[in-house]
Amino acid sequence: MKSVLKRSTLILFFTIAFIGGIAFFTVELVVSADDWANQPYNAHISGNGGLEQAGAIFDRNGTPLAQTVGENRVYNDNYSVRTGLLHTVGDNSLNISTAVQSKYRSQLTGYSLIWGLNMPQSLRTSHDMTLTVDANTCGAVYDALSAYDTSGACVVYNYKTGEVICSVSTLAYDPQAPPKINESNEKDYEGVYLDHVLSSTYTPGSIFKLVTAAAAIENIPDLFERTWYCEGSEEIGGNDITCVDGEAHGEINFRQALEHSCNIVFAKLAVEIGAEKMTAAAEKIGINMSFEIDDVKTPAGHYDVSKASVNQLAWSGVGQYNDEVNPMQMAMICGAIANGGKSVTPTYIKGGSGDLLELIGMKKSGSRDMFNPNTAAKLTEVLPDYTYDDFGGLTVKAKTGTAEVGEDKKPNAWMVGFSTDADCPLAFACVVENAGFGSQYAKPVAQTAMKYAAQALKAH
Amino acid sequence: MFDFSVIFDIGVVGLRILMPLYAIFIVYQCYAAMRRRRRPEKPLVTLMNTATLEKIPVVLWENTIGRKRSNDIVVEDAAVSRTHAVLLRRSEGWFISDAESVHGTYVNGEKTEGRKQVLIDDVIRVGNTEFQFLRGDEYNEELRESWFFKKPSRKPAIKAWKLMLMITLFHFFMTVEAMFWNAGTNSFSPLILFGALAVVEWGFFSVSYFILRRITFELEALALFLSGIGAILLIRQEERAAYMQLAATVVGFVIFCIIIKLIENPDRIYRFRLPLMIIAVLLLGTSIIFGKVTNGAANWIYIGIFSFQPSELVKVIYIIIGAGTLDKLNTKKDLFIFIGFSVVCVGLLAIMRDLGTALIFFITFLLIAFMRSGDFKTIILAVAAAVFGATFAIRFMPYVADRFKAYRNVWKYAQDEGYQQTHVLTFIASGGLFGVGIGNGFLKQVAASESDLVFGLVAEEMGIIVAITIALAVALLVVYARAITTRSRSTFYSISACCAAGLLVVQLTLNIFGATDLLPLTGVTFPFISSGGSSIISCWGLLAFIKAADERTYSLKR
Repeated sequence: MKSVLKRSTLILFFTIAFIGGIAFFTVELVVSADDWANQPYNAHISGNGGLEQAGAIFDRNGTPLAQTVGENRVYNDNYSVRTGLLHTVGDNSLNISTAVQSKYRSQLTGYSLIWGLNMPQSLRTSHDMTLTVDANTCGAVYDALSAYDTSGACVVYNYKTGEVICSVSTLAYDPQAPPKINESNEKDYEGVYLDHVLSSTYTPGSIFKLVTAAAAIENIPDLFERTWYCEGSEEIGGNDITCVDGEAHGEINFRQALEHSCNIVFAKLAVEIGAEKMTAAAEKIGINMSFEIDDVKTPAGHYDVSKASVNQLAWSGVGQYNDEVNPMQMAMICGAIANGGKSVTPTYIKGGSGDLLELIGMKKSGSRDMFNPNTAAKLTEVLPDYTYDDFGGLTVKAKTGTAEVGEDKKPNAWMVGFSTDADCPLAFACVVENAGFGSQYAKPVAQTAMKYAAQALKAH
Repeated sequence: MFDFSVIFDIGVVGLRILMPLYAIFIVYQCYAAMRRRRRPEKPLVTLMNTATLEKIPVVLWENTIGRKRSNDIVVEDAAVSRTHAVLLRRSEGWFISDAESVHGTYVNGEKTEGRKQVLIDDVIRVGNTEFQFLRGDEYNEELRESWFFKKPSRKPAIKAWKLMLMITLFHFFMTVEAMFWNAGTNSFSPLILFGALAVVEWGFFSVSYFILRRITFELEALALFLSGIGAILLIRQEERAAYMQLAATVVGFVIFCIIIKLIENPDRIYRFRLPLMIIAVLLLGTSIIFGKVTNGAANWIYIGIFSFQPSELVKVIYIIIGAGTLDKLNTKKDLFIFIGFSVVCVGLLAIMRDLGTALIFFITFLLIAFMRSGDFKTIILAVAAAVFGATFAIRFMPYVADRFKAYRNVWKYAQDEGYQQTHVLTFIASGGLFGVGIGNGFLKQVAASESDLVFGLVAEEMGIIVAITIALAVALLVVYARAITTRSRSTFYSISACCAAGLLVVQLTLNIFGATDLLPLTGVTFPFISSGGSSIISCWGLLAFIKAADERTYSLKR
C-alpha cells in the first residue's frame, strides 16, 4: 500500500496545479478587473442606475457638462452645449459607446474589485473628469452644423498638445430628454448613436489633394517650375476627368492648381506618380490606418489603387474613386502639416480627480511622423490662405472639398486646415454630408469653430 | 419619518460581507473534523524474524512482502522474490497470499495455495526467512505519525449535528439574501426551497446517525453544503431546476449509501464486476441509440421531462472495475479485464463524440492506470493510453479546433465564440469580493451559466472569496484522500478514493478554468454546484469511494 501512496502524489500534483491556476487567475483578476467590468453589455452599470453614482464631467474651463444632482444625472443647462457634446460626454443610455460616460463609466462610478458593482453609495468613491473641450465652442458649432439638418462632423484640436477643443457630430439629440427611437421614427435619427468625428468615414473629394500634393512634392523634382493647361475636361486613361462644373482654369502652375482645386492637374500628377508611390505616400500619412484616441479606435480610411485602371488612378488623386477618410484623421493630417510633419495624437481628457487618470490607463500623448519636415513646410507654403476670411483673426491655411458620392445625392462638403499662429496652434476638419460645395457649407462651420476655439485658447 | 429600508440595506450588505468568512469557517470545520477521531498509530500485528529476532511492525491492512524497496515489508533475502506475498487483514482475521513467487510462501511449514489464514504465533516462511506472527502490542517503539491526523488524545472534533446546524444556518442566510433580491418579486419562494433543503439535510443526517449508526458525517456535510449553495442559486434562476437539484441530491445520497454497502467487503466486489460491466456497456449503448444529439454530442437520454447523462454513472462503475485489492491488483487477468473494459468504453465514447466526457474518461483511465501499475505493466498501459488519446484526437479534431479559436483570445470574439467567457469575466469582476447578492446577478441570463459557467455565477452573486473557498473545498478532498491512503482497509479503497478525488479536481479545473479562459471551454460540470441531475448523482457516487476509504466508516459505530 505504500507504493499506492507514492503514486497518489500524481493526484496531489493535480491539486497543486489547480491551486496554482487559481492563484494565476486571482492575479489576472486583480490586474484586469477594471477592464473586465467595464463592458458595454455589463448590466450592473447600464442605464441611469449606474450613472447616478458617477462623478461630474467638466469642460476645460470647469463648466459642468454632466453631474449628478440628487438622484438624477443632469447635463449642461445650455441646450446647444449639451446636445453638441452628446457624442463626447454621452447620455444615460449606453448607446453611444465612444462617449466618456460609456467608456469610463466604471471608473467614473468608482468601481473597485473589493466592492464590485452593487454596493451602497457611501462605500464608493466616484471620480470627476475634466475634458479638453470648450463648451461654448461646441455649442456654437452645434448650432451652425445642425442648421443644415443633415449628418456632419466638426473637430478642432491643438496640434501641439493634442487637446481636442471642439468635437461635434450631427445628428444628435438632447441627452436631458432622449427621444424614444422606434420603427416609425428611426429614419429621422439615422446614425445618431455614431460619433461621426471618431467613427465614420467619408469620401474626401478635393481635400485628398493634400495627400496627392505631398506625394508630388516628394516625387516630382521640377514640380514648382511646371505649368499645365486646363480646359475644364480632359481624357485621361480612356475616360474624361472634369473640373467642378467643367470650369476651365487655363494655364496654371502648381500653387494655382491647388488654389483653384483643379482636378485635371492633380489627376495627371497621380497618374505620373503612379499607383505604387501614391500608395506609399498614403500609407506614410496613415490613410489606411486606425488611430487609437482615448481607447476608441478610429475606422481606417481607404486608399487602394491596386486594382485601379489609369482613369481610376487619376480619380483617386482627387479624392474620388474608392477613397475614404475619417474626419479626426483629416484633422490629424492637417495638424501634422502645421507641426513640421509630426502628428500629435489627439485626446479629450485633461484631468480627473484622485487617481482617475491611472484608473483609465491614460497614456502619454503619442505622435507619428506623417510627412518629411521639408514636405510639410512646402505644403504649408502652397496651401490656400484664408487669413482674411474671418477665421477669428487667425492665419489659416486650408483646403475645401466637394466630394461626389453618387448620382442622386448631393456631394459631401468638406473643409480641413490649420492655423499657424504660435499661441493658437489649431487644426480642424469639418464635413457636412450630402450638402453641396465645401466653401458654401463646410466653411461657415469651420469659421465658427476656429473663431470660438481661438477665444477659448486666448482667454487662458 | 425614519426610513427603515436603510437598515434593511445595511443588514443585507452586512450579511453579504459576513458570508465569505462564514463559508471559510464551515469548510475549515469540515476538514478539521476529518483529521480527528482517529485510532492511535499502533501496529496491527508484529512480524518477528526468527533468526535475528528483529521485530517488524505491520501498520497497514494490506502489505506486500518482498525484496524490492517499494514493498511494505522489505525482506533482504536473495531467495525472496521481488514481490513475494501479500499479507492482508479482513474482518475474519489475517491472510497471506502468495504473489506468484518463485519459491512459494509457507505457513507453519505448509505451502500456501491462494489465501491462507494466519493465526497468532504461526510461522510464515518466505524464501529462507521465517517470521513469527505476533500481536501488535509486542512492538514497543514509537511510530512516525502522519501530519494530517490529529493525536487521538486531543479534544474531539466538532459534533456532526453542530456542523450541520452551521451549514443549515449558512443556507438560511443565503435564503434571506435571495428573499430580498433586487427584483423584489416572489419574496417567499426561496423560503419554501429552504424548507425542503433543510428537510433533505437533516434527513440525511438522521439516516446516517440513527439508522446506519455512523459517527462521521463531515464528507456528507461538505457535499450538502455545496449542493445547497447550488440549489439556492438556482431558485432565482429557474425554480424547477432548484427542486430537480434537490431531488438529484436525494438520489445521489441513496446511490452513495448503496455504493458504500456494495464495496463493504473488498473481496466481494469481484463478484459484481461482470454485471457492472454489462450495465456500463448497456448505459453507453442506450445513449448512442436513444440519445438526442445536443451540441454535436449524443450524450443525453430524455425520459419524459427527465434528461439523463449515462456516461456520468459509467464513470463511477469504471472506477470500481479499475481499482482492486492488493493481492489481485497485479495479476495479469485483472489487468486484461481493465484494459479490455477501457477499450470498449473508448469505442462507445468515440461514437458519442462528447469532448468533455471523453476527456474526463481519458483522465480517469490515466489516473487508475498510474495508481495500479508498477514495473513493465506501466508500459502496456501507457501504450493503451496513447491509443486512447490518438483515437479521440482524430475523432474530435474539427470540433476541437473550433473551441481553440477563441481560447486566450476571448475579447476578440466577445460576440461569438468568446461570448460565454467574456461575460463570466465581466460579471466576476462586477461581483467584487462579496458579490452583488443572490438573485441580483446578470450572468444567469447567459446560456449554461448554471452548469458550465457556474463558477462565474457564484463569484458574481456571492463574491470571489466564496467562489474560491468552495473550489478549494473540493480540491482539498485530494489531500484527505491521500492522507487516508495507507489507513484504508484495502488498496481497492485507496485507489478508488484517490481516483475519485483526482477526478473531482480535474472536473473542477476544467470547469473553472474553462469558464475563465485559462483553458478551452469543454462543458464539464463543477462538482456538487453545477445544475444537472446526473452530475450531482455521479459526484455523490465518487464521494462514496472517499467515504469508504476512511476506515472509520465501517469500523466505528455509534
